[in-house]
Amino acid sequence: MPSTSPSPAATDALRVAIIGNPNTGKTTLFNALTGLRQRVGNFAGVTVERVEGSFKGPNGRRILVLDLPGSYSLSAGSPDEQIALDVLLRRDADRWRPDVVLVVVDAVHLERNLFLASQVLELGVPVVIALNQFDVAQAEGITIDVPELIYEMGVPIVPTVAKNGEGIDPLKQALLTASVLPAPTRRFSLPEKVQAALAPVESRLIDDGFLPGAAAMEALRVLGVERTDAHLAQVPGLADAVRQATDALHVAGFRPSRLESEVRYAWIAAVVGRTVAHTKEAHASSLSDRIDRIALHRLGGPLLFLLLMAVVFQSVFTWAAPLMDGIEALIASAGSAVGTLLPEGDLRSLIVDGVFGGVGSVLVFLPQIAILFTFIGVLEHSGYMARAAFLMDRVMRSVGLHGKSFIPMLSGYACAVPGIMATRTIEDPKDRLATIMVVPLMSCSARLPVYTLLIGAFVPATALLPGLTLQGATMLGMYLLGTVAALIAAAIFKRTLLKGPVRPMILELPPYRWPSLTSLSISVFQRCQLFVQRAGTVILSLSIVLWAMATYPKTTPDPARSPEMQQEQQLEYSALGRVGHAIEPAVRPLGYDWKIGVSIAASFAAREVFVSTMGTIYGVGSEDEAALTERLRAEKDATGKPVYSSLVAVGLMVFYVFALMCMSTSAITVREAGGGAIGWKWAGIQFVYMLVLAYGAAWAVYAGGRALGFG
Amino acid sequence: MPTLSLPTYQIADPIAHGALRVTCALNSCGAGSRVTVVDIACAGDEACRLRALGLCEGTAVNVIDARDAMLLEVRGTRLALGAALTAGITVQHATRA
Repeated sequence: MPSTSPSPAATDALRVAIIGNPNTGKTTLFNALTGLRQRVGNFAGVTVERVEGSFKGPNGRRILVLDLPGSYSLSAGSPDEQIALDVLLRRDADRWRPDVVLVVVDAVHLERNLFLASQVLELGVPVVIALNQFDVAQAEGITIDVPELIYEMGVPIVPTVAKNGEGIDPLKQALLTASVLPAPTRRFSLPEKVQAALAPVESRLIDDGFLPGAAAMEALRVLGVERTDAHLAQVPGLADAVRQATDALHVAGFRPSRLESEVRYAWIAAVVGRTVAHTKEAHASSLSDRIDRIALHRLGGPLLFLLLMAVVFQSVFTWAAPLMDGIEALIASAGSAVGTLLPEGDLRSLIVDGVFGGVGSVLVFLPQIAILFTFIGVLEHSGYMARAAFLMDRVMRSVGLHGKSFIPMLSGYACAVPGIMATRTIEDPKDRLATIMVVPLMSCSARLPVYTLLIGAFVPATALLPGLTLQGATMLGMYLLGTVAALIAAAIFKRTLLKGPVRPMILELPPYRWPSLTSLSISVFQRCQLFVQRAGTVILSLSIVLWAMATYPKTTPDPARSPEMQQEQQLEYSALGRVGHAIEPAVRPLGYDWKIGVSIAASFAAREVFVSTMGTIYGVGSEDEAALTERLRAEKDATGKPVYSSLVAVGLMVFYVFALMCMSTSAITVREAGGGAIGWKWAGIQFVYMLVLAYGAAWAVYAGGRALGFG
Repeated sequence: MPTLSLPTYQIADPIAHGALRVTCALNSCGAGSRVTVVDIACAGDEACRLRALGLCEGTAVNVIDARDAMLLEVRGTRLALGAALTAGITVQHATRA
């Protein structure tokens, strides 16, 4: 049967899907092809991130590129892999039909990478292979006979070095060339008995609309699969046909479950034997091995990991300071410049205090977020993150998860949303859900404003060690507290609601390499863009609502009182003040007054709003952090005692370590935990358990501290 | 009294196999061992994943590190495998005629 979507006319955009093993430089190649012309979204019906980009081909034709999730093979073990398989089989819900599939292959590990390529070759779609990291292969003494490899594979092959942009132009040309070449077919033949046993399976698939090549690939693949994949479950009569084929193969003396890997790797071994030569000793200790001797050392490894984490958090705290001061000054001067143009009154107050004050107070943290994402990006792109997962496997297994769950948790330091999305690589649904439930306990960047404000105001900058102050150590302590709580919570989930066996770890440790500056900048830029968008939408609307609640209804303050007292009188009379007084009994046991109660209540949708609400309440533009800090230190209660003792400040930070106050996180949990009623149930459980934990811990700090004679 | 756990080595009939063949579970191998995979008896999904990663029957494996989890060199790549998996993989030591 011919392809269901005929080749588009030369004037139409050419659709290219990119696939490859993880760590092949696939994303770097995608970035090199498309630059910043990218659109990040989701695949229809699932939350797998969908990154699409475009560029102009050599003949001026537009080429649309879809970056598929990294896969070691065409299987459907995780939601990520199912999506890749659906797109390549032309059965995805978005109906995105690739005209050409670009397989990115790591030239250094050609043998392993050709497994996926050999599967893709059979799909009945034109293919181009990018032989990426060609420079590293040459440096390691690996010589690849490219023309010979092209004959073996039967498709255009282009050597590339994506990080330098080398080979990109020939690759663009090859994509256009491939689109008019006939689609490749299977490059090896199966024994006759195997062919005969699989024929009924293939015909079932062809009847269901699979292309003949894809049907042959799937028939061989499903023999090794235990669970029926989602896209095959609906094919009429397939299960019976597979069972009969398996029986026939057993009778003929074959082992069906290992048949695919045996025949593919046998063919690959022959191809590699004819095309690849090693000019250096294969077992010479590589640089990665030498680094690993320290990074994976039983004692040195965990120490290095802790040291790296300490450096990250100390830098987030100190390096960002000058940049934050700059942004602060910029927003303050813009606010006052706009303020002078407006007449004195509510409109001016709305613009200056509500909009500039509210959004400004959050935008100030952009440098810290950029620094944190840069560090996490460097750890991930350099290959260290996989080592951290390996080191943590034992700890993670003791709580019922495996090392892989550690990567989403570490991403949670930057933001729970990408962290939760990163759980897609976890195959076991219970492990995945347990990880989703605890990722928001990892202190994310939105907690930074709260920690920064309270630590800056109430923790002295006493030097503990060279380069580490008490402030930095307190910050590290908050992160550790969240991490430990996440591990304990995971253990509880895996022993109660999500009981199940511990799935063993299977993890590739990629060779260390320098992160590509372009890829790193693009990913940091995209994350910062999302943060600014959020500040411009969620935080802006919340700021305006809060400003209105703090301003209305109005009262006539007693002119005999000081301006601060007048302001406080107005605030108490306002809607926000009334809400605060209503919830005061609930927060009193934690040592908080109604003003802190208001700030907590206001930050339920987005925790960073705590800081701007404090700014609004104390009548200082919260973008002026120093003034706010001074006001907090000076704040006294009715008896003349400071409202913010160190105990209250620590209790408040602990509350924010545990509380889930983020609409975006709850929304992503609803979707990733299964959507609909099931998703809402898990998001509800997540919100409630974290709130109970936050309240209990903040109470324990306050009551325990007082019992011990502090504050 | 604590139970002493020793690796179990299987010795196959040299006449039937044409050579003396010593097999054991992968997790019995220490760092530095060079072995060949004979059989993968893990749950179906995991076996499928291992094979896609290049660890299949007949593959030569170098053990780089053997602690609770194992670090292996397989087809030039480094794989970390949990203890539950390595116990289910049977490997063969170098064959001697």
